[in-house]
Amino acid sequence: MRISTRQVITKIMLPIIFALGLAVSSQAFAGSRLIGTGGVGAIEGAAGGGLSPWALLSSTASGQEVGSTATVSRAWLDDYRLTVEAASANIYDRVEVSVARQTLDLDTLGGELEQTIVGTKVRLFGDLLYHPWGIWSAGIQHKNLADDSIPKALGANHGQGNDVYLSASKLIFSAVAGRNLLLNATLRNTDANQGGLLGFGGNNRGRDWVAEGSFGVFMTPKWVVGMEYRQKPDRLSAAQEDDWQSLYSAYFFNKHVSLTAAWLSLGDIAGLASQKGAYASLQATF
Amino acid sequence: MRFHRYATPLLMTLWLTGCATQHTDKASLYTRLGGMQTIDSVVENMLYRVADDPEVVVFFANTNIDHFAEAFATQLCDISDGPCQYEGPPMDRAHQHMGINDAHFNRVVEYLANAMADEGVPLAAQNELLGRLAPLYDDVMRLQ
Ligand code: HEM
Ligand code: HEM
Repeated sequence: MRISTRQVITKIMLPIIFALGLAVSSQAFAGSRLIGTGGVGAIEGAAGGGLSPWALLSSTASGQEVGSTATVSRAWLDDYRLTVEAASANIYDRVEVSVARQTLDLDTLGGELEQTIVGTKVRLFGDLLYHPWGIWSAGIQHKNLADDSIPKALGANHGQGNDVYLSASKLIFSAVAGRNLLLNATLRNTDANQGGLLGFGGNNRGRDWVAEGSFGVFMTPKWVVGMEYRQKPDRLSAAQEDDWQSLYSAYFFNKHVSLTAAWLSLGDIAGLASQKGAYASLQATF
Repeated sequence: MRFHRYATPLLMTLWLTGCATQHTDKASLYTRLGGMQTIDSVVENMLYRVADDPEVVVFFANTNIDHFAEAFATQLCDISDGPCQYEGPPMDRAHQHMGINDAHFNRVVEYLANAMADEGVPLAAQNELLGRLAPLYDDVMRLQ
């Protein structure tokens, strides 16, 4: 059953999203915010980079407008493959709700881990472009593992958990060689191991505050390149956990379709050392 | 630290390119925009885009467009350090009680950005002008 669902998603949903996005491209209603100001879809469903949520809300919906996104992403690591299907809605550029399903195929160890993440992000104040302090948002992510037996065998305490975060983003016009610079910082309180895929809690410690940050340079109004860094807790003595980082490039074909490619370095995961690999993500926005 | 292997060269490159532009771009923003001729074309180009957007054009229903075009061009010239002095009403008075919301504001900014690209303004000059206009958001929206 699972496998056929996956096939449906990758073989059918992905081309449909892409075709729909391109078909409605220029005619369809698009939000009023400038292109690129919705970021792309982070692996936990919220608008952000790839690894970390950003303060900006998904799509380009502005006040009095609604927007929605659908995203499929995949990371090919040395010993794992992560697949994410996600969707989000932006209501009046005030509230973002998102849902994501992550599947981690354990290529080397065998089996898979799957979790569902339901998230909400609220813009507290500000604007990415116009406010001197940028945009500030707070969010919560409820994460639920489909099967917690492997995480519990590694020492995790729970099969579900909640992350809360505070995030700030700011676009600085003409900051680097005349190009606009996007800065993001996120502070997250979490008890998740490897983002939740290895369960919640552990024998080393309880909840932690972790910092995440990124920057991106808009080489053109449609093309941003940059890097992300995500600090991680380390609470399973059986499976050391490292910080995550990425180098990314995201291209916005128009306000409806974006494609992100990244190079990931995720450190040790579940006992397998130094996981590196490529990441690709396709997002359709309406 | 693995982080530094990527971060240090990247940040250094950004920093160096940043310095390079600081030293070479001595010309005023006004000159890099292309002077008054380009500013006038940009304003005209933008107004066609506004005219095509029913939700924005309504704000200009009772406006003398020639006066607006001249005032707006003068302000772009002034704010880009050109040889002009904007002497019209302040931005909060000029837009008071119009009912402009964030969506309208963003669209006008997008039309201006697209007009600049269309008229061949270099990207760095486009970004710098937008950066100088962005803080006016507060004034334009204050009395809505
Ligand atoms: C940074 C953004 C903006 C700047 C710098 C700007 C600048 C100006 C200037 C210089 C004038 C002429 C004032 C005068 O001489 O009477 C003006 C008038 C006007 N602006 Fe803006 N504007 C901005 C945003 C907007 C937005 C977002 C809208 C509406 C969607 C808008 C609608 C108008 C209208 C309708 C008038 C004419 C008012 C009248 O008929 O007297 N402006 N603006
Ligand atoms: C907790 C809420 C907020 C705090 C603490 C806050 C703080 C500030 C501060 C300290 C400044 C002055 C900075 C400066 O002059 O350099 C400022 C300016 C400004 N704020 Fe806020 N703000 C808040 C909410 C908002 C909201 C809700 C909006 C609009 C939606 C807004 C729009 C602006 C704008 C447009 C400016 C002026 C930009 C400028 O003139 O350069 N702020 N804010």
